[in-house]
Amino acid sequence: MNSKGIELDPELSPKVESAWLFYRFQALAPQLVTLDYTSNPGVKVPYEVISSMPELKDNPFRERIAQVFSQDGDGNMTLDDFLDMFSVMSEMAPRDLKAYYAFKIYDFNNDDYICPLDLEKTMIKLTRGELTPEEVGLVCEKVINEADVDNDGKLSLDDFQNMILHAPDFLR
Amino acid sequence: MNIADKTKHEEKLIASLINLPTRDRNKIIRNQPLTMQEKRKIKKKVNMEKQKSANQSIQLNYCTQCLTHYRHFKSVTSEFFQSLDVWQRTLKIIGSKFGTSVLSYFSFLTWLLKFNIFSFIVNFSFIIIPQLTDPKPNNLSFTGLELLTGAGSFQQTVLYYGFYTNSTIKHKGSNTSYNMQLAYIFTIGLYLVICFFSLLYSMACSFRNNFINPHVYSRGTAKLVFSWDFTITREKAVKLKQRNLTTELKENLSEIRHENVITPLKQRLSRFCIHLAAWIVSTGVAIACCAAVYFLAFNNMKFLREHKNQAATLLLPFLVCCFNLFVPLFYSSFGLVEKFEIPRHQVLVIIIRNIFLKISIIGILCYYWLNSIAVSHEECWETLIGQDIYRLLMMNFLFTLFDSIFGEFLRRIIGTKLIKSLGVPEFDIARNVLELIYTQTLLWIGIFFAPLLPFIHMITLFIMLNVKRISLMMNCLPPSKVWRASQMMTLFIFLLFFPSFTGVLCVLAITVWRLKPSAQCGPFQGLPSIIHAIYGWIEILSNRPSYLWVVWIYRNLIGSVHFFFILTLIVVIITYLYWQIIEGRKIMIKLLHEQIINEGKDKMFLVEKLLKLQESQKKTNTFPLAQERREQEVSLKWSKDGHLFILDKREWSEGTKVNLEDM
Repeated sequence: MNSKGIELDPELSPKVESAWLFYRFQALAPQLVTLDYTSNPGVKVPYEVISSMPELKDNPFRERIAQVFSQDGDGNMTLDDFLDMFSVMSEMAPRDLKAYYAFKIYDFNNDDYICPLDLEKTMIKLTRGELTPEEVGLVCEKVINEADVDNDGKLSLDDFQNMILHAPDFLR
Repeated sequence: MNIADKTKHEEKLIASLINLPTRDRNKIIRNQPLTMQEKRKIKKKVNMEKQKSANQSIQLNYCTQCLTHYRHFKSVTSEFFQSLDVWQRTLKIIGSKFGTSVLSYFSFLTWLLKFNIFSFIVNFSFIIIPQLTDPKPNNLSFTGLELLTGAGSFQQTVLYYGFYTNSTIKHKGSNTSYNMQLAYIFTIGLYLVICFFSLLYSMACSFRNNFINPHVYSRGTAKLVFSWDFTITREKAVKLKQRNLTTELKENLSEIRHENVITPLKQRLSRFCIHLAAWIVSTGVAIACCAAVYFLAFNNMKFLREHKNQAATLLLPFLVCCFNLFVPLFYSSFGLVEKFEIPRHQVLVIIIRNIFLKISIIGILCYYWLNSIAVSHEECWETLIGQDIYRLLMMNFLFTLFDSIFGEFLRRIIGTKLIKSLGVPEFDIARNVLELIYTQTLLWIGIFFAPLLPFIHMITLFIMLNVKRISLMMNCLPPSKVWRASQMMTLFIFLLFFPSFTGVLCVLAITVWRLKPSAQCGPFQGLPSIIHAIYGWIEILSNRPSYLWVVWIYRNLIGSVHFFFILTLIVVIITYLYWQIIEGRKIMIKLLHEQIINEGKDKMFLVEKLLKLQESQKKTNTFPLAQERREQEVSLKWSKDGHLFILDKREWSEGTKVNLEDM
């Protein structure tokens, strides 16, 4: 890594080969990202290119994932953001870290709460529109009833983490 | 408030990281929910702080040094064991393509495989190796049929009980002696005790993870919605998972709706009658199978004397395996007639019926072995039982192989090429897991009569793992029914414990305490019963003054009724106390929950009052800034000495202290 002059700290990326990831990043947009990374360390790969990666192509939440991990929230990612994303998604990441980022992904309006509107959008993405609006509403109501501890009608990060970390099937 | 919290959190984090070794420090920084840049900043700060304090001499306490070494050791060993888990990658791939339910079957299989490896190592080191150093000559020739029947030349090998000597093995020229009798009984006893405790431990762990819910999380709809697996990458798998999720949610909703719907009495009555009829038919079929096995088994001996062919011994196992294969299919055909309101109940009912069938077949076979073969004055009856079990396991293995290859492979070809409407077969988890439990029960019974059996079972399990995996990848779809993987796993581990393991303990207890071992072969030849080996040993020990404490423990603790009575009483009392503690904690959870709701209401009330106060202040104040203040979001914070502070969400300010009397 040092020969390319890149300040990537392998100790900070959990078990993920930083060099391999850099080459993948570079392969996404070879014109933008040169092999000599130090000349332009803040270069951003646009969202359209990221969402065409095979790992993200079919994920219904790819837009939200790119938005959460990008610095400005618009989906264009630098190398740092790219590494962040892969390190959180890797199997070695601890569950509470994943739960934290899952919360941010489900929070569509970025207000630090999952409100019923966020839930509806999540449901639509999850079920590809196969549930009727009435059923979607019922499910959202049930979810808020079950998980909302402080009864304010929306889920905060604590509610979410509390519920998810007790679910043994989550993010195995 | 966020920024203030963040800086405080950062400072605490840096302070806690200074004294840790580099490896642990990096691990903790890695696991923080921060971006790469922030992590790098923290790392730099920690390094700077460390350099500052490195100039002063740090003399770590001996205890803290020990702690750091211990933590390091723990992390290294856990990483080592993780890397040993060879199947982890395979399991990951299966989990991503087929979901957690199929993955749970394969993890169950690998768990049983590890169990068997452990039992093989134990048996091998303590029983088989010593016997191998003093072998008896084997006069019979090897024909290929032995692999299947276990008889013939295999009879006089370490495979069976009859080969083991009852004497103490001595080597010329050395003083050490190895008492085979005691070794045999103690090894198997110890192995069973370890199995017992590890089963209990796994059961308790799964119980704790799956069934301890606060009263709020009743249906798990929320868990379903948020349980999207981000590691699924193939388009087909994604679509499948979405479809499954939709189905599960619809079924959840129908359960909720069903509670509000009252079915008419006539419909309920007809459903009840159908259920009753189905149960009677299934129990009847199970009893009929058991009767068939019983008659065949009891006529087996005469039949075998007439037909001297070795292959004739395979008839009984063949019949048992046919029953095990076809009767469950018959049970699942009930599903066409029998309808369940809650789909989950259907899976449970199938599992209960199948396990009843399998355990009754094993029960009848044990009855036959212990009541008929053992008292039949045959020479070496234990070896005969061992051979029977070997044949059953082999036949079962062959049937499972054929089932995977022909059942799933052919079914896929028929489903895709010939009758397109049938479709690709689904992987039937319940049937496969119950097969595993059945073979494991047989194995546990067989360990006493054929000590090398775990080795053979290990090989068959390994082959089956790979065959099932390949068949799965090539042929099957993941199951579309509702399947709460972790709850089902708890049920399966419980079934493995009761009736499987407890039944094995009963059978072995009867063998050791009641039956007379054969007079001419085996490590217990000549004794009136196997337990007399222990009695004899205690007698010998009571003549040696240095071992009298062992004799005392045996006579007064293990042999006395009062001790067990008192022990049971203590265990019951502790259980009762824990139960009361749990009840108390449930009440506490409810109260705390109410307290959280009330605090939320208090907060809203105070914020409203505050806004009203600010409005009234604004009227007396002509500065436009006050209006800006009203539009900013405020939050309230209680300080340690009981004062209430208003904090601006956007800036970190000291906050205005609110005088509660003004409100």
